[in-house]
Amino acid sequence: MLWEAIGFYSLALFLIFFACQTLMATNPIHSALYLVLTMIGLAGVFFNLGAHFIAGVQMIVYAGAVMVLFVMVLMLFDLKAEVRAFSRGLISGGLKVTAAAFLLGITIGSIRHSQLAAVDQPAEALPIRDFTRELGVLLYTKYLFAFEALGVLLLVVAVGVVAVSRMKGGTHAKH
Amino acid sequence: MGSDIFEISVNFVKLIAIFLLMVQIVPLLVWVERRGSAYIQNRFGPNRVGPLGLTQLLADAVKFLTKEAFVPSRGYPFIYYIAPIVAMIPAALALAAIPLSMPIKIEPFQWLGETWGPYTFLFQGYNFGIGIVFVLGVSSLAAYALLLAGYGSNNKYSLYGALRASAQTISYELAMGLSIVGVILLFNSFDFLEIIKGQEAPLHFMFLGRKIELSAWLPNWGIFYQPLGAVLLFAAMFAEANRLPFDLPEAEGELVAGYHTEYSGFKFNMFFIGEYGHMFVASALMVTFYFGGYSLYPFLTSENASQVVQPVAQLLGFNSTNAYNVMGALLLHLVFMAKVVLFLWIFIWVRWTLPRFRYDQLMDLGWRTMLPWALFNTCLTAVVILIMRHPWGS
Amino acid sequence: MSQLLPVLALAVFVIVFGSVLIWFSNLIAERAKPDAVKGETYECGLPADYSGPTKIPIKFYLTAILFILFDIEIIFMYPWALTYGDFIAEGYGLYIFAAMFFFLSVFIFGLFWELKSKALEWE
Repeated sequence: MLWEAIGFYSLALFLIFFACQTLMATNPIHSALYLVLTMIGLAGVFFNLGAHFIAGVQMIVYAGAVMVLFVMVLMLFDLKAEVRAFSRGLISGGLKVTAAAFLLGITIGSIRHSQLAAVDQPAEALPIRDFTRELGVLLYTKYLFAFEALGVLLLVVAVGVVAVSRMKGGTHAKH
Repeated sequence: MGSDIFEISVNFVKLIAIFLLMVQIVPLLVWVERRGSAYIQNRFGPNRVGPLGLTQLLADAVKFLTKEAFVPSRGYPFIYYIAPIVAMIPAALALAAIPLSMPIKIEPFQWLGETWGPYTFLFQGYNFGIGIVFVLGVSSLAAYALLLAGYGSNNKYSLYGALRASAQTISYELAMGLSIVGVILLFNSFDFLEIIKGQEAPLHFMFLGRKIELSAWLPNWGIFYQPLGAVLLFAAMFAEANRLPFDLPEAEGELVAGYHTEYSGFKFNMFFIGEYGHMFVASALMVTFYFGGYSLYPFLTSENASQVVQPVAQLLGFNSTNAYNVMGALLLHLVFMAKVVLFLWIFIWVRWTLPRFRYDQLMDLGWRTMLPWALFNTCLTAVVILIMRHPWGS
Repeated sequence: MSQLLPVLALAVFVIVFGSVLIWFSNLIAERAKPDAVKGETYECGLPADYSGPTKIPIKFYLTAILFILFDIEIIFMYPWALTYGDFIAEGYGLYIFAAMFFFLSVFIFGLFWELKSKALEWE
């Protein structure tokens, strides 16, 4: 139990460190790379909680797909001017402080209103179950409608992406 | 990792042994690649250093180690140095999740005046029960090594190479992920051990709820049910490992050497280890999904391996059940490696047979040919399984 | 944690292995004298040109975004593939097939629409 706790807290510390670095790195690419590490650490946390499949999804979708896109885009744009505009100046500084305060408020509010602290610890360890199978059964029975709606939503996004990439103007406009 | 010091240390040594297995196969494969290409192209190949040119590998290693240390002055040194290390991680983590032989059961034994055991040692680094998802998740990180290398060396050609490579890797990841769905449908498991267990039986299928055995001699390998899926997965693996005919990222005529233009010495060698590691993982996955893994059904399975090796073990002077189990597992490991080597040879064979694709052909193949066919394969498998098991409900 | 430990151990080992090798080869290798021309990136022998932004075809971003979308759809098929046999064995074969049929037809429609719209065509 002690080792479990040590493992959990060191993982959590690493996560917080990477997340802070994501926010504080001035180079956007370094920031994105720290975000990748944060995503991988988050997969580790899911894994630790026994949600193996969710951890795998976190790795495949967030660490392996979304962040690849971010890093790719950041590496290939010349962002020097934008970075300077964003990282200096009173207005953007004020915006940052406001955003941080807002986030802090939401976090504190949600912790105060949540009932998590009241959940009793089970006296014995739960029997090991096949959570992935349970997840599958739930997903295709109880949450079937959400699942199908998600398919449609993804289709809409795909169409939207193509439409945006076809917009006139910009560097690739056809003359 | 284990309950006592013996189990923990065995498991730890095992992890490192699997990684070193991946590393040491690189020089051997380089040798096979050079000699094989020479054989295919009717040349001699490297044959001067040592018998059959075998010690060429040592000479290479010395050369790699003593290469001048170079960092491009405009590059980002930390990222430049970290990229080759990152290149080795996905393949190493993925390989450790694949069972290389049957689990070894060890009965209690006396050692150093204490009783140890019983243990069950898996012949793999770790087993989570979600093996396939873990391997996919870890190998999806492979794109970062390319991007970091391209960015770290701050060279336009490297960056273009990295961009092409990552676009290619992610495009073929779709076909790869989708062609595995057929295998999961067939065996109803993410666990490699269960998938292999499902293949240790005579070839049979369900027809309207009745079990029909086709032949007592043919094993129940996935290739008989999923030939299309096997071909698609293997082709996608070529692209994932950046091998010819999909080695656009390193197309010399256009991009110098792609993302590793600025790398030399051991840093370059680590990209090599990553690439060959991906080939190894790809071959191991093909063997596990479609060719029975470590089992060779009518002759050798995880059930009878310990009995098969018994006479040989007795001849060598080992007379305990533990020794039989260990030797049985080693025998099955040899079977597994023999199958893997066959696939590795196909990788090399294809490299020296097919010309490189053009970039548009490559993307066309990935998105417009392989993805629809993989989708077709999934639908077909689902429909056939539904019909075959018709009287639903046990 | 005990399950995650071997993965972490292996990752740390690989990082240490790689770092030691690079450090060792830097140690025994010939030192390069820093030189303005030598340190330049290799761009086919021409003097390297660092000016101007790098222009990248938008196709790469499009490919990456479409990859994310299709990847998510494929991930959602994994639990289905895992539980398909269980659903059939319990007599809900047609139900799970119909549930997935709708999802798959949306997927197929999306894929063929993308192919038809020539969004994925490289010239």
